[in-house]
Amino acid sequence: MRKQLGFYVDAKRCIGCFTCAMACKNQYLQDTGVIWRQVYPLKTEIYPHRERAFYSLACNHCANPTCLNVCPARAFYKRDQDGIVVHEQDKCIGCGNCIRSCPYGAARYNPVLKKAEKCSFCWERIDAGQQPACVLSCPVDALRLIDLAGFEEPNAVQYPPGFPRFPSLNPSVRFRVATTPTIIRRSRT
Amino acid sequence: MNHSAVDQAQKAIGCAMSRRKFLGCLAASGLLAAFPGALLRPLEARAQGGFQEGLEMFRNACPRNCYDTCSIKTFVKDGVIQYIEGAPESTFTDGGLCVKGYAYTRRPYSPDRVKYPMIQSGRGSGNWKRISWDEALDVIAKKFIEINEKDGSMLGLALSKYSGNFGITNYGVEGMMTSLGYTSRFVGTPCWPAGIDAQNYDLGDMWCNDPEDLVNARYIILWGANPAWNSVHSMKYILEAQDRGAKVVCIDPVFTQTAAKADVYWEVETSMDGALALGMARHILDRELHDREWVRNNSLGFEDFADYLRREVTVDWAAEQSGIPAEQITRVAEEFATAKPASIWIGYGMQRHVNGGASVRSVDALVAMTGNVGKAGGGARYGHLRTWGFNYHALLQKRPEGAVGFLGTGGPMGDFDFTGDVQDEYTDRPLNMNKTAEEILTADDPPVRVLWVSCKNPLSQDFDRNKMVRAFQKPELIVSVEQYFTETVALSDIVLPVTTLFEEWTVNVSYWHYWMSINEQAIKPMYETKSNIEIAAALSKRMNELQPGSCTFPTDIDTKDWLAREFNQGIYDLFGISSWEELKNGPVKAKMHPASWHDLQFGTPSGKYEFRSELCAEHGHQALPKFKEGRKPYDKLRLLTPHTKFGIHSQFVNIDWMEEFNPEPFCYLNPKAASERGIKDGDQVRVFNKIGEVRLEVKLTEVVPPDVVMMYTAWFRNNPYNCQNLVDDEASDMGAYKTGMPGVAIHGQFCDVARA
Amino acid sequence: MNNMELSLVFFTVLSQAAIGLVILSSVRQLALEGPAGNVRMEWLAAAILLLVGMLASLFHLGHPLGAPRALTHLGTAWLSREALGVGLVLGLMVLGFITAREAVKPGLALAAGAVGLLALFFMGMTYAPPGYPALSNALPLVFFLLTAAVLGTAFSSYFAPAEKKPLLARILGVSLLVALVVYLVVPLVWLSGGTVMQQTGTAYLTSPLYWTRIIIGLAIPLYAIWRSGSISFWVPPVILFGELIGRVAFFSLSVHASANIGGL
Repeated sequence: MRKQLGFYVDAKRCIGCFTCAMACKNQYLQDTGVIWRQVYPLKTEIYPHRERAFYSLACNHCANPTCLNVCPARAFYKRDQDGIVVHEQDKCIGCGNCIRSCPYGAARYNPVLKKAEKCSFCWERIDAGQQPACVLSCPVDALRLIDLAGFEEPNAVQYPPGFPRFPSLNPSVRFRVATTPTIIRRSRT
Repeated sequence: MNHSAVDQAQKAIGCAMSRRKFLGCLAASGLLAAFPGALLRPLEARAQGGFQEGLEMFRNACPRNCYDTCSIKTFVKDGVIQYIEGAPESTFTDGGLCVKGYAYTRRPYSPDRVKYPMIQSGRGSGNWKRISWDEALDVIAKKFIEINEKDGSMLGLALSKYSGNFGITNYGVEGMMTSLGYTSRFVGTPCWPAGIDAQNYDLGDMWCNDPEDLVNARYIILWGANPAWNSVHSMKYILEAQDRGAKVVCIDPVFTQTAAKADVYWEVETSMDGALALGMARHILDRELHDREWVRNNSLGFEDFADYLRREVTVDWAAEQSGIPAEQITRVAEEFATAKPASIWIGYGMQRHVNGGASVRSVDALVAMTGNVGKAGGGARYGHLRTWGFNYHALLQKRPEGAVGFLGTGGPMGDFDFTGDVQDEYTDRPLNMNKTAEEILTADDPPVRVLWVSCKNPLSQDFDRNKMVRAFQKPELIVSVEQYFTETVALSDIVLPVTTLFEEWTVNVSYWHYWMSINEQAIKPMYETKSNIEIAAALSKRMNELQPGSCTFPTDIDTKDWLAREFNQGIYDLFGISSWEELKNGPVKAKMHPASWHDLQFGTPSGKYEFRSELCAEHGHQALPKFKEGRKPYDKLRLLTPHTKFGIHSQFVNIDWMEEFNPEPFCYLNPKAASERGIKDGDQVRVFNKIGEVRLEVKLTEVVPPDVVMMYTAWFRNNPYNCQNLVDDEASDMGAYKTGMPGVAIHGQFCDVARA
Repeated sequence: MNNMELSLVFFTVLSQAAIGLVILSSVRQLALEGPAGNVRMEWLAAAILLLVGMLASLFHLGHPLGAPRALTHLGTAWLSREALGVGLVLGLMVLGFITAREAVKPGLALAAGAVGLLALFFMGMTYAPPGYPALSNALPLVFFLLTAAVLGTAFSSYFAPAEKKPLLARILGVSLLVALVVYLVVPLVWLSGGTVMQQTGTAYLTSPLYWTRIIIGLAIPLYAIWRSGSISFWVPPVILFGELIGRVAFFSLSVHASANIGGL
């Protein structure tokens, strides 16, 4: 398999602190309302305690990116060397097709520039030998950089509950699911 | 660092290198990987300078009263901050910050910032007018001279300052007050005072193990602490200990994010932590699992404590008080006593009660009797000030000649009181910080004529807000030194714009970890902002123009020069550096043993761990760490107002970047309590008690018990929400010994809730 | 889609009406005996409708001047193909108008119809992205074909000779009936799908937009045609209004998959 960088989202370690999401804003200074990385709380049907387990998600840099496929202006390209899906804003005409198309909500509309934008996987940082801002920021190593070409982790899953299943896109993200402790409630009267 | 996670990543990419380098390796691909040592160095070098062209890197440090006190690398281009990162040199920060820290990039450039000195005609009117620094300082200086002439002293000037900026040079605000004469000071701390006293009675000081040493623990109890929100960088050590086989127990009235990561969570009855600890102690005693030798050699009064346990404490009683089943108490007690080493992290939340100090003493006793004090991987971890030995040059100013002050006190002036033991004839007048509103309203002879607020937002953070609003009508002049138009600024007459951390030089240490970081001036001060010590100098200049000799504060200062003056040989020796300039290469860690009290020389009068503290008894408490009742409920539900993960006190939640993720306040209610009141998820509710009410949206969740309403302490820029409408100023049991004033029972509060 | 995407509403509805119009015109001209009606004006009307629609679509772009770039990704982007298809149809319509005398040349009429259908197919694919599970299927194409049929037939009545109007009324009646059934059934089908489809179905069934479209755009015209046996003068604008409302519903009520991240 070719090299394909991806995110490993370790929900077992994740503390939902939003550090990764803010680290992204810090790095790219997105305009208000534009969020490249979001931290999604799992609903209680998936994790029984409200707002206590999370998936930190940005662009999944899919093997078969729908954003790239549907863009009429060829504003996306997928890097041969590592599979990063890059959006070139100077080519974007702001049609919104990628935003409608991506089921993961990765592409966002920038109302100031009137163009789409999305997580770049910090490819400039990668090229400079650094980690993506979000990965570097994670205080508990719950967000990691992986190469799917050599990724073998038995507990990793691609479509855990709460992460939309779109095999045709083949998102480059893997998860470890959250666990719950033994809970001793007070005796209730 | 979590090595297993890094190992997995390294395995995944097929090269074995340090975490910092592994991405360089990734980018370098196969050929480079064959010669990693030589060829990756340029990449590393580039990493130091950021990935863009023309970036300059500066060192900063977060000064925000947080366990983590992160060391920051700030990347600047053409005088403008581009982005920041955590300093990788600190193993604690490890290259990362937190959600608040990363929002810093926005702070100096926030459109909401106070940009110029402004004056308001009519407190709360919003009728602000821009004035010059000269005009502002003229008004203030004339007022100071006026009250000094009227009262014959400066005691009518009161300083309200706490932890908004812990950069050492910011003690220049206290220094400015000293240089004006004897003034009134709001003394104490709302934060952690009861626990500080408790640890001082038991151990002779507050001194915690290195948090990085948590990985060595075989058993960890997180007791009323929520590091997943309030000390995110500590979490990796807890998770690592867990990965190495340690069991983690979280004890909290709320199923916190930390609880969700524990192995066992106990939903303790709020304020019954002492009973729970004593029940565990009794069981350990019964099973003879305590460390007899440690207790015999290193403690005082253990037999008295044991007698008390046998006489008055049973596991069943503890179970009844705390709500935790007896078999759980015995199981965890046994596990804790037999796992070596075992550690307890005592959170500040559990001591914010009328029995808070007593509860901390009970938990201390549990750690001590199992011989876990003084050991790596052990310890009753609460906090420390062992790395704070600066010169406090900015703080220590001379009084003006002939200054007159207050007679008769000489106690500590707060938890960070570094004034030394200089005894003058006069002293400043101490006012209780935890009863700020009451003190402003009742202080007399002279009354509080001028209130100077810096590094603090009393209207958002101090107790009984309705009373505070009344109190803020009383002073003749209120000056706020601020970055934003807070609720406190809204009720001030003059606001002076203060620098952010990026715009001044200072130095920071932590009360938790052992690192020290320099804070360089990374950008020129924006607009007309000045640092606290520059404001002091400018004020001094004006004072001396109007009345020579009325202020001893230097009139011309350089923040970098003043930073340098904070250092001494003791600091250099402790941190193993020879000059503060070395801090420009990155933060340094104190050369301290990872275990506090490792030499078992305690700071108590006896030099031993004191289960029985006569000093404690002298101060009006119980000599033994006995159970003490919590506050009697005065309403149907308990009100908890802990910290949010999106802010610290009133800071950060107001930033527009933070609003993207946390746009509005919520309160949290158990579905059972909600259904009894006909409340549905998402309803607007009214939370009310004897002192006030708030209205906000409710989220129904079983993370809170049925008898609890929880909401977070925060200040939103576009929302009137204020949890202090519901929190009164009831004192906690301890705090006066080491911080000058008792603490506050912040979690000993009650309320009810109804649909709005 | 939490906004109404008005420019796309006008673009899709008007272009589908225009394509429907030339197809109906061609059908009348080629498949039926007798006079074809005012074909030339009909093709002009279609071309104008399509042109207005295409102009409207430009306002949907953040950068309208970049519109030509939209043609650069014919390889995989349905939107590029749609733009090309619609552009070709417009060209054929203009050509038809210019060259028409009594009728449009059969080859040209056939070509316009065929390319029109192809453009409708492209459109159907463009608006069936993975992001909208309720629409990521053949439904948009079905909706668009129905719009073309209904509006094409309805507007065709303005240009058809009197003897062909009863036939048009029958075609329109059948189209409206089919559309009514489809639009009533589809939200119910969604209710039995995944979470996001269910949310979309619920959003439709509880929205005044949806019911306005059902009653004004479909039921009332159907009733009028059933009662009178002909297409009254007021019927086409009412149907157009219904289609526009229906398209607003299409764009604004469909729930995006990302809205349910974290849920089952």
